[in-house]
Amino acid sequence: MATHNEQEREHHEHEHHEHHVHGPGYATPQAAIEESTPEAVAYVVGLYTGSDIEAPDFIGVVDVDPDSDMYQEIIDRVEMPNRGDELHHFGWNACSSSCHVEGLERQYLVVPGNRSGRLHILDTKDRRHPEIETVIEPEEVHEYDLSGPHTVHCIPDGEILISMTGNADGESPSGFLELNDDFEIEGRWDPPGEIDFNYDFWYQPRHNVMVSSEWAAPVTYQPGFDMEDVEAGKYGRRLHIWNWSEGTVEQTIDLGEEGLIPLETRFLHTPESVHGYVNAALSSNIFHFFEEDDQYHAEKVIDFESREHEDWDMPVPALPTDILISMDDRYLFGSNWVHGEVWMYDISDPSNPRKVDSISIGGYYGDIRDVQGRELVAGPQMLQLSLDGERLYWTTSLYSTWDDQFFPEEKEHGSVMLKADVDPRKGTLELDEDFLVDFGNLPDGPARAHEIRWPDGDCTSDVWQ
Amino acid sequence: MATRHDLTLTWRDGREETVPASENETVLEAAESAGIGLPFGCRTGACATCVGRLIDGAILYDRPPRALKTRHIEAGYVLCCIARPRTDCRIEVGADVQTDLVSNPWK
Repeated sequence: MATHNEQEREHHEHEHHEHHVHGPGYATPQAAIEESTPEAVAYVVGLYTGSDIEAPDFIGVVDVDPDSDMYQEIIDRVEMPNRGDELHHFGWNACSSSCHVEGLERQYLVVPGNRSGRLHILDTKDRRHPEIETVIEPEEVHEYDLSGPHTVHCIPDGEILISMTGNADGESPSGFLELNDDFEIEGRWDPPGEIDFNYDFWYQPRHNVMVSSEWAAPVTYQPGFDMEDVEAGKYGRRLHIWNWSEGTVEQTIDLGEEGLIPLETRFLHTPESVHGYVNAALSSNIFHFFEEDDQYHAEKVIDFESREHEDWDMPVPALPTDILISMDDRYLFGSNWVHGEVWMYDISDPSNPRKVDSISIGGYYGDIRDVQGRELVAGPQMLQLSLDGERLYWTTSLYSTWDDQFFPEEKEHGSVMLKADVDPRKGTLELDEDFLVDFGNLPDGPARAHEIRWPDGDCTSDVWQ
Repeated sequence: MATRHDLTLTWRDGREETVPASENETVLEAAESAGIGLPFGCRTGACATCVGRLIDGAILYDRPPRALKTRHIEAGYVLCCIARPRTDCRIEVGADVQTDLVSNPWK
């Protein structure tokens, strides 16, 4: 007799089969919540770049099905063909924005190496054992005068757009690279010279708009964080509002001193919405951006105060390095990497986020310093939420060179992946102390863990038309 | 045939290896040819993952070491991915060297 979980999986496959008549993903964000089954595996970046361990970076397949015998284990590691990539953010070839494209499947992961510039395509047809399908070498990317691939989003017609943080020399200006549905470089998506700095982006096709944010050029951020570079204006503080169909910048918003290093760009999931958020990591603020009177505006809505630390000369900033929005658009979650906090705000009124809960964990100030006896040597960083909004997971590495500055012990001990149970009805977060995935105990040595993705759609990648 | 030099690589844990390097090879390539893995990233001089510190000898770049600031170059840091030896060299290598480039600004 099939177990409850197997029945659920069969039910899910049946639904998926029906859905393929139309295309990948779900018809609406609410359909994603209703029709999805709980996540069974997570794809997680594992890094050896920047260490003395002579092994390539990998995508770890983590079993997150509580009914599985392999629960919380890294059941497979897809090793990259080369060392030195610094795998960072990655994305799908197709998401719910291509829901109308018959024959297209959410099957391929596009996994860029941020340092190398190399683009890997993984076939996830076997969800538990993905394989490398093809690799685009850095020299092919440099031909378009781009380097430092960052965020991957699919375009609704099956093509793929990648934000690039630098030109071929790793300097400014930067831009966007487009791949076709055969994973070949189509060319530049934007006219060169529209933006100096680049990082993350999100598009809302119903409003013909895309918003992009700014980290810095690779030559600036890759060697490590240097305050001199901030003072010299080498770090970003602007948002760019693009005409999505034309690929041109319509408006640039300078967030000022309170908006230094705007990173993750998240629109609300409903395709009707013209509201979103961005985390200004260095200024430790969250900005709300929104359209009003045919213009985009950005207002600071959350301000995390710096804290004194007895061992540090200056008040220590929170460094909110990741944010995400629940699929029902009700909650904004984030991580204050340096302070060591995972937080949850109610955003039912997008202009007035209301703090509902947080967990003080790891980092420099966390109340919880270990899980199951495993010492936490860094703060919470990349987040991923289950589609039903009830399980929040996170890893602890930001970027190899930046980890070494702020949490040097992570190189020696590796990262952990942790989880909290979320009650969306009551607005609460509770650490699941039974959950721990330790990237410190791997055959090649301790690895850093970064971004997390689900096979069937994410709160940080799915877009609707 | 290209001139060859001896490249002595030293790690902070006391390990030391001497490998031959032609003037056409970068320090990283010479180490790789000898079966020694050094840290690296972009291989174009932009990211500083491969940074080492030249203790003795002379190197030549065929493109600018863009990831290094003037203060780093003056302190003897070199990018192994684009540095080609011009004399016998002694270079401190390993991931720990990279961590010297920048410090925690609040500490």
